[in-house]
Amino acid sequence: MLRSLLVPRAAVRSAFKQQSSLPTIVAPSSIARLSKRSYATEAEEKDLVIIGGGVAGYVAAIKAGQEGMKVTCIEKRGTLGGTCLNVGCIPSKALLNNSHLYHQILHDTKGRGIEVGDVKLNLEQMMKAKDTAVSGLTKGIEFLFKKNGVEYIKGTAAFTGEHEVKVNLSEGGEQTVRGKNILIATGSEATPFPGLEVDEKRIITSTGAIALDKVPETMVVIGGGIIGLEMGSVWSRLGTKVTVVEFLGQIGGPGMDAEISKAAQKTLKKQGIEFKLNTKVLGGDTSGEKIKLDVEAAKGGKKETLDAEVVLVAIGRRPYTAGLGLENIGLETDDKGRLVIDSEYRTKIPHIRVIGDCTFGPMLAHKAEEEGVAAVEYIKKGYGHVNYGAIPSVMYTHPEVAWVGQNEQEVKDSGVKYKVGTFPFSANSRAKTNLDSEGLVKMIADAETDRILGVHIIGPNAGELIAEGTLAIEYGASSEDIGRTSHAHPTLSEAFKEAAMATYGKAIHY
Amino acid sequence: MASFATACRWSARLTSRQLRQDAAARGFRTSAARLAAQNFTMPALSPTMTEGNIASWKVKEGDSFSAGDVLLEIETDKASMDVEAQDDGIMAKITQGDGSKGIKVGTRIGVLAEPGDDVSSLEIPAEDSAPAPKEEASKKPETPSESKLEAAPPSGPSESSAKKPSKPAEKQTYPLLPSVSHLLHEHGLEQADVDKMTPSGPNNRLLKGDVLAYIGSISSSYPTELSGKILKLTHLDLRNIKLAPPPAAPKAAKEAAAAPPPVAKDLQVAVSISMTSVIEVQQRIQKTLGVFMPLSTFIARATDVANDNLPQSKTYTPSPDELFNQVLGLDKVTSANGVRGSFLPQITALPQAAPAAKPKKTAPKSFDIIDLLSGKPTPSRLASRPAPGLSASVNVFSVTVPKGDEKRAKVFLDRVKTVLEGEPGRLVL
Repeated sequence: MLRSLLVPRAAVRSAFKQQSSLPTIVAPSSIARLSKRSYATEAEEKDLVIIGGGVAGYVAAIKAGQEGMKVTCIEKRGTLGGTCLNVGCIPSKALLNNSHLYHQILHDTKGRGIEVGDVKLNLEQMMKAKDTAVSGLTKGIEFLFKKNGVEYIKGTAAFTGEHEVKVNLSEGGEQTVRGKNILIATGSEATPFPGLEVDEKRIITSTGAIALDKVPETMVVIGGGIIGLEMGSVWSRLGTKVTVVEFLGQIGGPGMDAEISKAAQKTLKKQGIEFKLNTKVLGGDTSGEKIKLDVEAAKGGKKETLDAEVVLVAIGRRPYTAGLGLENIGLETDDKGRLVIDSEYRTKIPHIRVIGDCTFGPMLAHKAEEEGVAAVEYIKKGYGHVNYGAIPSVMYTHPEVAWVGQNEQEVKDSGVKYKVGTFPFSANSRAKTNLDSEGLVKMIADAETDRILGVHIIGPNAGELIAEGTLAIEYGASSEDIGRTSHAHPTLSEAFKEAAMATYGKAIHY
Repeated sequence: MASFATACRWSARLTSRQLRQDAAARGFRTSAARLAAQNFTMPALSPTMTEGNIASWKVKEGDSFSAGDVLLEIETDKASMDVEAQDDGIMAKITQGDGSKGIKVGTRIGVLAEPGDDVSSLEIPAEDSAPAPKEEASKKPETPSESKLEAAPPSGPSESSAKKPSKPAEKQTYPLLPSVSHLLHEHGLEQADVDKMTPSGPNNRLLKGDVLAYIGSISSSYPTELSGKILKLTHLDLRNIKLAPPPAAPKAAKEAAAAPPPVAKDLQVAVSISMTSVIEVQQRIQKTLGVFMPLSTFIARATDVANDNLPQSKTYTPSPDELFNQVLGLDKVTSANGVRGSFLPQITALPQAAPAAKPKKTAPKSFDIIDLLSGKPTPSRLASRPAPGLSASVNVFSVTVPKGDEKRAKVFLDRVKTVLEGEPGRLVL
């Protein structure tokens, strides 16, 4: 190894030339870096500089390009698309889909008349399939950047002035970018669990959970929210014994309707996932071969120890603004680290706006996308629009869970009188023929005006079905409007219509 | 909600623009070419529109406007729509004022001038097409000579004006929702009733609740109240933001104070290295080239080479970013060649005969590299004399490292050894 190291003699020598005096050997690398600093350049002022090439940032960049603005997007990760495309929504869905297929072949296809011999899991190939999907999509964004004239700088940005951002280029050197407007879209990172140091091998976040190199025997998921349940599902289907520890009394996070959440818990339990609700993780010991987690009932105080090969920390995400130099220009965050904005996404420096996960609102890719477009429209046209009351949420387990609008508890708390209509997929012809009939559609409408306040679905393709509910809420529809609209037969969407009919009258098939 | 409204208005504008262009084209052909002023006629906003009301003009006589500006709002039995200017120009004259009713499509409602024209001296063209007789009558007094005619509308502005202040009812511009039309038929309500209902939906859409309120089956104010509640949900709740406390400097100081206690136990790793071959090379260089290379140079260069490409420190905790990159496989691209170390060995001379003795915990006799540097002239040209603190044969090279880094240090020292004992010549070539 050393020989190979010594062979490029010239290279070694040129390295020596850089450091002609002896003391430099103390920290030779920093000297080398210094010499590169001289490349800093002053650039023309752009109409818009976007920090972050995630879903919020890249969508805003493309939109701005389409609006004819001169736009620069700065991303340090080497690939565009941010968390969503690289380590979030997209790769997890690849794994969810393929692990579901595997699980079905193992347990389900026989009953459908398809007998498959010798089923083997090739995890490496499954990961490769995932990576292909991811790289294809990230490349796609780079193409869209080119197509819309977006300048793409790879590097880490920090504010040096109200109109100026210094970029530490990934390939070395530095560049100063100036913008009339600046958009911060730096996103979020997984919140670490105090006392458990994430190494993405044994203590993992969602990032590591999509890249394990072997199927662990046991896994404890801290946090029974959407991310925890999705990743728990993946590994459970591939053979891991998964235990989900959740502090609250229900899974799926606080937005999920309690009734739907219970139904989801039942089905997931049937699939082999263990749940420990109302349970608090006290701490962990990673020194042994197995990680030992001390847990305690949140109210009762009964202690026990869980053993796990891998611990997935999925207790939420927090805004990521480290190294951005916010203090240089005096931008404020709230107590949760979210950048403070007004209703037009402006910070207290009006030409600097913030969108996506690093500010307020649900941390969802589609919300960030909407904001990207709206923020650019505010800059360009003076008006933009995002309806935060009609942003759907989806959990891509099997069956999927999806909802939009308010859940039953929220409606109750708001003091509005309401009606509920439900329709089970077990009474839906298509779900029956697919042998996939678990779940239900639940609709909540105002008792007097029949206006739809929330739609909650657990069942096959719930994520696709929720689009209709979102549209209904966006348009202020009543359940009768849906019930009087033709839905194709035989489709799952008929369950949606029947639930609407059950809300203002009676369902036909139940 | 509103975006949909905008979209709808857009499409309305687009159709109307197309139709107006047609109308304008027709106008150009019938009138003399290149008139300074052009008649502005009632546009057809939909294929079926035959007549409409002028709700209000958005420009006054004498105002200039640019393409895309809204000139006036027109009402029909179906909708009320904005009419945009196709080109830059000046509103020379308004012949049909606010609130004019039942104006046939194609009737002159105003006169447009080119940008920069002097409106007061402008010749007002005669009306192109023959409008309905009624219009003719109302138009009578407007002769070209009376160019400064006041824009008093024939039917008085107060009488019509679609813009009622509180907007209790609004005409529906979209197809009625299925629930709404069902209720209408069920209760035998007519179009006139629809116009009297107060819409509570997004962009003034008439909802089922509004019909129910109209027929009295629910409280008349309830739908609006509910809409108000829902409207609140459509915005981010930015009230009661608790600002993060400013980064407390004392806290940082406390951390610094707290840091020392867990002193990582430092270890010393040592390797004995013979300098014989280095000195040999040194002498050879001096003989052949007449250049004296101090031993310190050899050692410094060896250190530099050995520092390159070391394995990652065990105590190093990767940042979330680096972990992210590892997951993406990007780390292999950027730092495939390991990490550069910053070791600086301490050198202690051993008694000539004792190389076999295991390099025990040598009292780290501090070795100042500056001495070496400044010592350059002292050994004069007598090259073979080793530098102070260096023995000509065996020396102990040692580095002090935090626990966990021993392996890395060992790799480093072994490399120094190989370079210095094996082929020191390469260091100077």
